[in-house]
Amino acid sequence: MVRTRLGSIIWVAGLLVLFGWMSTALGQTQKFKESIYPVGKLKPRDSVPKLKVGDEAPDFTLPAVRGGEVSLSEYRGKKNVVISFVPAAWTPVCSDQWPGYNIAKEIFDQYNAILLGITVDNIPTLYSWTNQMCMGGGSLWFPVLSDFWPHGAVAFKYGVLRSDGVSERALFVIDEKGIVRYIDVHDINTRPRLEALVGELEKLNK
Amino acid sequence: MKVIGIGAGNTPFEVNFFQKKYEVPFPLVPDEDLAVHKVLGEVRTPYFIGVKINEDGSNEVFYSKLGGFKDSGEFLNLMIKLSGL
Repeated sequence: MVRTRLGSIIWVAGLLVLFGWMSTALGQTQKFKESIYPVGKLKPRDSVPKLKVGDEAPDFTLPAVRGGEVSLSEYRGKKNVVISFVPAAWTPVCSDQWPGYNIAKEIFDQYNAILLGITVDNIPTLYSWTNQMCMGGGSLWFPVLSDFWPHGAVAFKYGVLRSDGVSERALFVIDEKGIVRYIDVHDINTRPRLEALVGELEKLNK
Repeated sequence: MKVIGIGAGNTPFEVNFFQKKYEVPFPLVPDEDLAVHKVLGEVRTPYFIGVKINEDGSNEVFYSKLGGFKDSGEFLNLMIKLSGL
């Protein structure tokens, strides 16, 4: 048997596995091969903020991919709410961001938080896209809401509707009282780090 | 045979969470700035690369393929065969 020293480890052969969850690398999972539209590099932010930390979060009611409607107000007094606006279905970073949140359900549970995913796409598009998203079958644990009509009305209300009609990549943390506690209108080209959101959820209970 | 996983685009926190949740028994390395990913050809994931380290210290890629596998036993046998161990 051939044995070679590499650093302090005895190696015979090595197997490198590249995996990506919540990856920033261009919707790069094999599952999405050829389905992701290459958007190129976009202007990082293209909207005027309307809300600030401490404001009451504007209520909304939107249709959900799984059926029915979801209103922000139904969580009042019950759960913290994380709203994740992503620009559009079938685009690079978004196609990695939500599968990551799907894996991290325990973290949301730990902080008594529900996640609401919102895009300006219509329900059929979101249905196809989110079905492709779930690794190993199943479905996303959090509601995915369509802000398609009136187009981007909720994104507009939250100050994250871009001039071309898609939304920013933005995170809002709203506490059980309905107060905005964190806003991250992120560079649309990159995925927010999970720990930044977790850090904000931690602060809610202090 | 050793296995190392590289989290393309992932932060240490994300990799740590992933490792604990799925009880991954081998080292996982975060590659947040995609530096390793770039060196390895910006492949899609999952992607497997088998590297044989020769006695003279040189490395030899014996396997490089996109996509997962269904049967881990079969995959291990294939790696043993291709690496010539």
